Amino acid sequence: MTTAPFRDRPRVDAHEKVKGATHYAADVPVPGMLYAMTVPATIVKGRIAALSIEPAMRVPGVVRVLTASDFPPAPPVDPGTPPPPPMITAEIAYRGQPVALVVAETLEAAIEGAEAIRPVYVESPSFSAVIDSPGAVTEPATKDLTEHVDIGDANRAMAGAATRHKAEYVSPAQHHNPIEMLSTTASWEGGHLTIHEGTQGSNLAKNAVMQNLRLGADQVTVKSPQVGGAFGQKGVWQRQTTIVAHAAMLIGLPVKLVMPRGQIFHNATFRPKSRHRIELGADASGRIVAVTYNADHQQSRKGEFAPGYHEHTPQMYGVADYLGTAENVRIDTQPPGFMRSPYPHPAAFAFESAIDELAEKLGADPVAFRLKHDTMVDPINGRPLSSRFLNECIVEGARRFGWEKRNPKPAATVLPDGTQVGWGMGCGAYPVKAHPAIATLRVGADGTTRFTGVGHEMGQGIRSTLQQVLLRDLAIDPAKLEILIGDTSVAPQHSTAGSWGTASAAPAAAEATAKLNAAMRKLLAGRNISGNLHHQLAVLRRPFLEVEIERVAQGQDAKALATLRKGGRALAGPEFPQFTTFSYVAHFVEVRVEPRLHRVRVPRVVSIADCGRVVSPRTAASQMRGGVVWGISAALREETGVDPRYGGWLNNDLADYVVAVNADIGDIDVGFIDRPDLLINTVGAKGLGEVSMTGVAGAVANAIFNATGKRLREMPFKIEHLL
Amino acid sequence: MRPFSYVRPETAPAAVNAFAMAGAGARYIAGGTTLYDLMKLDIERPEHLIDVTAISGLDRIETSGRQLRFGALAPMSAVASDEVVLRDYPVLAESLSKAASQQLRNMATVGGNLLQRTRCIYFRNGAGGVSVGNRYPCNKREPGSGCAAIAGSDRGQAVLGQSVDCTAVSPGDWPVALVALDAQVELLGPSRTRTIPVADLYRLPGRTPHLEFTIEPGEIITAIMVPATDAGRLSTYLKVRDRESYAFALASAAVALEMDGATVKRARIALGGVATRPWRATQAENTLAGKPLTPELALAAGRAAFGDARAGHENGFKIELGARTVAEALTIAAARKRA
Repeated sequence: MTTAPFRDRPRVDAHEKVKGATHYAADVPVPGMLYAMTVPATIVKGRIAALSIEPAMRVPGVVRVLTASDFPPAPPVDPGTPPPPPMITAEIAYRGQPVALVVAETLEAAIEGAEAIRPVYVESPSFSAVIDSPGAVTEPATKDLTEHVDIGDANRAMAGAATRHKAEYVSPAQHHNPIEMLSTTASWEGGHLTIHEGTQGSNLAKNAVMQNLRLGADQVTVKSPQVGGAFGQKGVWQRQTTIVAHAAMLIGLPVKLVMPRGQIFHNATFRPKSRHRIELGADASGRIVAVTYNADHQQSRKGEFAPGYHEHTPQMYGVADYLGTAENVRIDTQPPGFMRSPYPHPAAFAFESAIDELAEKLGADPVAFRLKHDTMVDPINGRPLSSRFLNECIVEGARRFGWEKRNPKPAATVLPDGTQVGWGMGCGAYPVKAHPAIATLRVGADGTTRFTGVGHEMGQGIRSTLQQVLLRDLAIDPAKLEILIGDTSVAPQHSTAGSWGTASAAPAAAEATAKLNAAMRKLLAGRNISGNLHHQLAVLRRPFLEVEIERVAQGQDAKALATLRKGGRALAGPEFPQFTTFSYVAHFVEVRVEPRLHRVRVPRVVSIADCGRVVSPRTAASQMRGGVVWGISAALREETGVDPRYGGWLNNDLADYVVAVNADIGDIDVGFIDRPDLLINTVGAKGLGEVSMTGVAGAVANAIFNATGKRLREMPFKIEHLL
Repeated sequence: MRPFSYVRPETAPAAVNAFAMAGAGARYIAGGTTLYDLMKLDIERPEHLIDVTAISGLDRIETSGRQLRFGALAPMSAVASDEVVLRDYPVLAESLSKAASQQLRNMATVGGNLLQRTRCIYFRNGAGGVSVGNRYPCNKREPGSGCAAIAGSDRGQAVLGQSVDCTAVSPGDWPVALVALDAQVELLGPSRTRTIPVADLYRLPGRTPHLEFTIEPGEIITAIMVPATDAGRLSTYLKVRDRESYAFALASAAVALEMDGATVKRARIALGGVATRPWRATQAENTLAGKPLTPELALAAGRAAFGDARAGHENGFKIELGARTVAEALTIAAARKRA
């Protein structure tokens, strides 16, 4: 097994994307298709007393209006699998919830019909729109390891600490806002339902539809070959999938819905507002000896997105006494969910800010302070960390950034025009997980190669990653290599999220190539035929050679494969039987604060990651830069607002939900340690997508402190906070 | 999304005639960058659209005489990149190039831009259209329904010119620059042509926030005229916002100076992002007249511009930010090279 670095190659889909030729789910032409529009609830909580479909049916072109009474009751609860999404119900749990689906011959008629629907509501006398609202219910988290960590005796260690720092940090509600909208196109033909949908979990979508509409596994296919940005928004079931599928079945014609962005703000999951109360204690030698960390976040009344904010902080700095607790605060919104680096991003903002504050108190350099807290042990279970090159990331980042020239004194670096300059850094880690995979590889004498496997392409570059392994291992024609993923009809599809895509898919490709090369050797039986595999097969008069592999992740057994076949979630890690595995990152940020207006700019970032072996250098670097951009945007720009009197989301479009633009971003220099972790898999890959963003916001906050002497603990940092 | 009729006359009089024939519910449309947006939000519900983009000659840019004349249909991007405008009137070019995105500036016209409606979030996101789903009272949208913004999330709202019924900010950049330069607007109506100061195009909200413009039914903007002035060279449009492009102003200042050495002979200052209409800051101008421009004086002028400002509960920072924006703009303008 080779462990050499991979070479840099262009991404497989770059040319198509630049030409605008890539088909996303809503672009797939389906003959005879009808258009649908959802009608959003205009109350926060209550129920529909009456809903007349007549005004919509009078609109020319409207074919049918589906309301709650058109849908079957919710299926019985299946223990062990998450319940499918509700369909259209008369009970209203949040503003914007779909109360009807209008299907028409044109999009315009569907919209006009939807606007004509005016349900009569019975409103609840009160609702809780934000976590401080009356009626918000605080609920202690479960004993899950990421929600409740109690190692050593943190309270005693804290009492004995020589230096302490305690503060609360706040991360706001945010929405993913991928450019590709939520959409579903469903066709019902010959007793089979085909769904085109941008999703990170085509089998999740399939299961939701199967359960809700009582269909068999052989009756539903979900295709998600290209996703136009997902970031976790499309990693869970989408409420509209079953609704549109049911419409297609009832009408007997294909139906497409593209949900408008304002509705997506209300129906998709989001990053909940979270509060992080952290106390750190250090001994007389300046070593952290105690951590107490309580986090809470906003939760919907029935939501299941756990407050698992202790996902990486216990393992960061080798602290033996750590008490971590967490709570849900239940209010009347749609369920929150996973958004890029769901837990480590807000947790690292808080934790890396707190580390910086403690270092400041101790008079310690933030880089040296972190370096001396290196560890190779998971303090929760005592097992070794399989690989950890965080200190290498910090040292390389500091070198490239020129950290040794930093003035540690806050508000002391001022340019002749009065601009304040600040340098800060922050680190991050992200758990490494992996799932089982089933893949086939077929090489033809006609020059073609086809790989089918598990994975979803959301722009992160998983096809490019698979190509890297296939072209490294196989003597084939790259121009005729076809990679089929994200389609329940080609292979069982585990959801692609949590940075586990590469660590799951790339080893499967490596095993397939090894098996195919072995089969070829057997076929050759010692004969020496020159040329590539296609040529060899032609000479041997074999039309093709095909292999299939099944693999499970570290510590998994055949049960995981059975779960995968059912389309379920079968994850291993980050605690494996012999070790624990994380990816790591260190970010170095320069900010400049204008002398009179106090606008903050980020002209320069250096970020170095340890993600194990880098399989696709091109897409990995791109993913790192994207993570850094989002970290800056999260720190300085993004927040979804709520008016507590009305509930729902106030700034629900791309004009008022302020994401960073090109002009906000300066130089981003990214690098990788690129050392394989061969304990975790044969390729040596860990994960990158989420760790790349983790710690950026803390580094920005720390840089602002260095520039101005002001400590900002609530994101986003806006102009009025520094005036 | 409601059905509407659509015509595209080829002369200005024909457009005005088409408007009169269409009666109530008619709207002119040029670039469409605001109107279509508001139609999707179910705020504007026109029954008849009269598209003026086929009218020939209405996009001319004339910069050689005693006044600059911009045909109403000139795209924002064309005026922003005009060589004379760039060289002699940076305040005009900057007010246009800092607005929207290049794609929008290619579509939007300098005439239509004058009539852009507010970005107040409760106004835009509360009509109940299916693309949004929120419903908020708004005196501008539904007279007498109340104002959700005043007791609500008012970070973006005005601190100058607001009333008990409305605090919505006038969103434009270009009109602010035009007001600073005493520009005029030419209007063609059913019975007459008239010319009025751009500043007089805008109403204060008072008790009638739904009435935003003094333009009469059926009138069409045909041209914008800016008196030629040397002060254009020492000018700038400074726009402060939540990100560095593609955002509306939190505070902006259009400044043009006539200097005698280091002494300000005359300053023209108008404010955006902070007021219910493009806001001429006469008190700030008076503070500067006849005095040497120092950083202290610039800030004093900025503060004078906000002498009458009143804060809500989240937007108080705009008073300080606005004052500093004026001061910064004065500094930038004064540092520009004369002809």
